[in-house]
Amino acid sequence: MVAELPSSAGDPRGPRRKRAGRSEARAGVLFALPWMTALVVFTFIPLVLTFVIAQAKFQIAGPPKWIGWGNYEAMWKDSAIWASVRVTATYALVSVPIKLVLALGLAMFLNRATALSGFYRTIFYLPFLMPAVAGSIVFMLLLTPGAGPVNLILGAFGLDPPDWLKDPHVALWTLIMLSLWPLGVETLVFLGGLQNIPKEISEAADLDSPRAWHKLVWITLPMITPVILFNMVIGIISSFQVFTQALVIGGTTGAPAESTLMYMVVLYRAAFRYFNVGYAAAMATVLFVTVLLLTLLIFRTAKSWVYYEGEGR
Amino acid sequence: MAYPTFAKPETLNRRSFLLGTAATAAATMTLPGAAFAQAKGQLLLWLPGGSDLFCKVQTGMLTDWTAKHKELASAETVCGLGQDTAFNQALIGAITGGNPPDMSLLWDAPVSLGTQGAFLALDDMMAKSIINIDTWPGGLLASCQFKGKTYGLPVTAGIYSMWYNAEMFEAKGIKSDRASFPKTWVEMRALSKEFTVWDGDTLKVAGFMPHREAESLAIWSALNGGKLYDSANYKYTFDSEENIEMFNFFVDWMNEEYKGDINLVDRSGSFASGYANGTTGQPAAFRESRLAGLHSGSWLMGDIYDPAPNFTRWDLAPHPVGPSGSATVSGVWPNWFVIPANSLNPQAAFDYLTYLSTEGAVTWFENVPDIPTNSLVKLAPPKILVDHRGEEFAKETTAFYSEQAKIVTPMWDSPVQGFGNDQLKLAIEKIYTKAATPKDALAEAQVASQAELDRVLAG
Repeated sequence: MVAELPSSAGDPRGPRRKRAGRSEARAGVLFALPWMTALVVFTFIPLVLTFVIAQAKFQIAGPPKWIGWGNYEAMWKDSAIWASVRVTATYALVSVPIKLVLALGLAMFLNRATALSGFYRTIFYLPFLMPAVAGSIVFMLLLTPGAGPVNLILGAFGLDPPDWLKDPHVALWTLIMLSLWPLGVETLVFLGGLQNIPKEISEAADLDSPRAWHKLVWITLPMITPVILFNMVIGIISSFQVFTQALVIGGTTGAPAESTLMYMVVLYRAAFRYFNVGYAAAMATVLFVTVLLLTLLIFRTAKSWVYYEGEGR
Repeated sequence: MAYPTFAKPETLNRRSFLLGTAATAAATMTLPGAAFAQAKGQLLLWLPGGSDLFCKVQTGMLTDWTAKHKELASAETVCGLGQDTAFNQALIGAITGGNPPDMSLLWDAPVSLGTQGAFLALDDMMAKSIINIDTWPGGLLASCQFKGKTYGLPVTAGIYSMWYNAEMFEAKGIKSDRASFPKTWVEMRALSKEFTVWDGDTLKVAGFMPHREAESLAIWSALNGGKLYDSANYKYTFDSEENIEMFNFFVDWMNEEYKGDINLVDRSGSFASGYANGTTGQPAAFRESRLAGLHSGSWLMGDIYDPAPNFTRWDLAPHPVGPSGSATVSGVWPNWFVIPANSLNPQAAFDYLTYLSTEGAVTWFENVPDIPTNSLVKLAPPKILVDHRGEEFAKETTAFYSEQAKIVTPMWDSPVQGFGNDQLKLAIEKIYTKAATPKDALAEAQVASQAELDRVLAG
């Protein structure tokens, strides 16, 4: 049976309703207007301007000069770009999977209903609330060679700790380690996914096999693939945009020896240290296109591994 | 009978909410502009930073000078906007926003931003002033000039020299007079070994350290007969034979005396400068008599007493000469002043800089021992040094630095100075951490810096 929608035809209150509806719509638009204005002014216009400025030699203090593809050609020849691509790609390839696994493990731990669940959730979320600069400085102090607590503890066990932030072979891994610290958001998203798994499916899986990993591989993971997809996409995007920690630890040169030189740091220094804004805009454009393509690629492959409840397979 | 009436309570309707929001937003957006606005008749000076004393002295001089000039309503000194990137960012932002300070101290090469139109060319004003072009040392003024235009004034400079702990020398039975100080790098390296003591992997005491600061590397390059940048031909020369030889010498020295591991040295203390390590808090080895000598600037004459070293008698000497060098040279840390484009009071700013370059520089030097560079200045020894070491030593030291100022090697003169320094910093890191050989690291820095220079010069 299909319910009939009430009609306003012949209703003497119709025009008044229409007026009221228009008034509501106007109010709605007015309420949304500040946000829409901000979106246009602070997102769309800068985005378009970035594409335009990328075609120019623009040093901020003088007028821009049109150079077409010149900035992109310069990028191609710039060894700092390739060094940063290498470092950023390594960072993304290593940190994103580790982050996903750790966040999922934490979420599974938190999903077990205990009296302290709420407490643990708060504790694990807390690092996310700490500003990245403060967090990085705390890590730098913890990892200080000689007097840093980490090295003192390792030294007490007879281990020879590395120069976490000064050895070019170690510094990037330290940065990756630092990225694994604030897992709060990913964990909460995973937790939401785990709690959405229907109880009957979970219980049926328990009956079918007593082995926990069977349930994990055949039930839990497939059921939370949309959440894995979400965390993966967000993780990849943010790993390409990692900036604050890299700048605090490695400065604008990616010290030591470019080993922490992230793409965003090169972009930042081009714009705000060398005032080569056109070049920085070209870098931003390339990053935008790369991340867009990567995201589209992941979404394309997602059809084969992401399971949405109620969707035919 | 009168019925009681109830006034309709004042409610926040959509219209008033939106109006209120818009008004608040508009007020918020205009407030910062109003608060920091530059005004005609009000002189505004920006300083990147410096010690409290430095800021106090600068503020006091500007206030006193303004009080004597009735056409100026007031003056303001903004001190501590941040060094390097942060400061230049703020300055460029203010200039492009049309609201710059009237004048600014720059710890960078004025030509870098001057060529981009960020600063006024001062030549016309200089020509009509007592501080005309002839009153400045050519080498120093050159670092403010590009293609015939002068974008800044080298008001005072920190002059580099060798510093040494005379008491440590004497304790080892080594002559501590200036004339006996090593004249060559080879002699300095040999002397350094006399002091250096390791306890396992901890460096307890060191003699001298191989140089590794990018900003003053031009001095060491010149000491070895080389140069980093050829301003006449707009060419970087990072990977010249002299520079490769210089780093090979330093690396050999590091390997021989410091276990070839710069990180071991850094773990052991702050041996790289006369200051405590800002990150780790390790105190300066020099002040603790754990480092016999170092390369530093004239500003240390004041700073060395905060905190005071555990010895009294330090002295200064000219830089020793490298294997391919022929004569000693000195170098500078710039305290260059500029007048930003769009300044509302450019002539008043220039008049103040004229005062600062002459009479003001004396007051500056007496309190913070940066060396005045204009030839009109007659120097008195810095008070802080007189207090600690007596009149005679202070006079002699002042005379020494005046002599060193005459043999300053050209530096801070590239239109892409910051970029070049960053490339050098990177090369130095790669060399000392053995991530690359001197030849490869310098070649890489050379290619990058020349490409950036060519890009900027292309217009």
